[in-house]
Amino acid sequence: MVPSTILGIACIFYDFSFNFLDIKVFAIFSDDFFGSDTVFGLGKNNITDEIVGVLFIIGALLVAFSKEKNEDEFIEKTRWESLVWATYINYFILIFCFLFFYNTSFLWVMIFNMFTILIFFILRFYFIIIMLKKSLGHEK
Amino acid sequence: MKNNLRVERAIKNITQEELARQIGVTRQAINSIELNKYVPSTILALKLSQYFNKTVNDIFTLEETD
Repeated sequence: MVPSTILGIACIFYDFSFNFLDIKVFAIFSDDFFGSDTVFGLGKNNITDEIVGVLFIIGALLVAFSKEKNEDEFIEKTRWESLVWATYINYFILIFCFLFFYNTSFLWVMIFNMFTILIFFILRFYFIIIMLKKSLGHEK
Repeated sequence: MKNNLRVERAIKNITQEELARQIGVTRQAINSIELNKYVPSTILALKLSQYFNKTVNDIFTLEETD
């Protein structure tokens, strides 16, 4: 997850891509601003961003939903709660962005929004787990 | 829902850690149940009752708000 995050940031902010990944890809649907639309055809594309995106999602899913070392029903409940929480927060932020971002900025919002629900979930879940461990202390 | 898990634990003279290990849950779970923050599943309640050799009703009791 970490390497794909770094690569993802590089892709987004510095237009980073590996040249050797320029290949023909199969597209179910792809429309071109200056050319014709492709339906179930081949098109040329640099697949750096695709690979990075897929790696990030797989990595984040593993981090998010791997079982804890001692997974019990309580941890499971915390997990569900965090997922619901992350969904709420994600959509509240999306509503906010709907109202206040336009044009290309909104495209960026959509790009980030693809990943934020997982990120919010991971942050909240591990935050709760760590806080619980801390609050236990040396109670008898 | 109220519970007297802490009392039962004191009678047996066993720590949260040890109880959690015996029952097979995390210490956070036991701690949260004692603080009335978490309502355990029926399975966990039955395991606890089995461990303390009491009925579930002796350990867990309903409150007015439930």
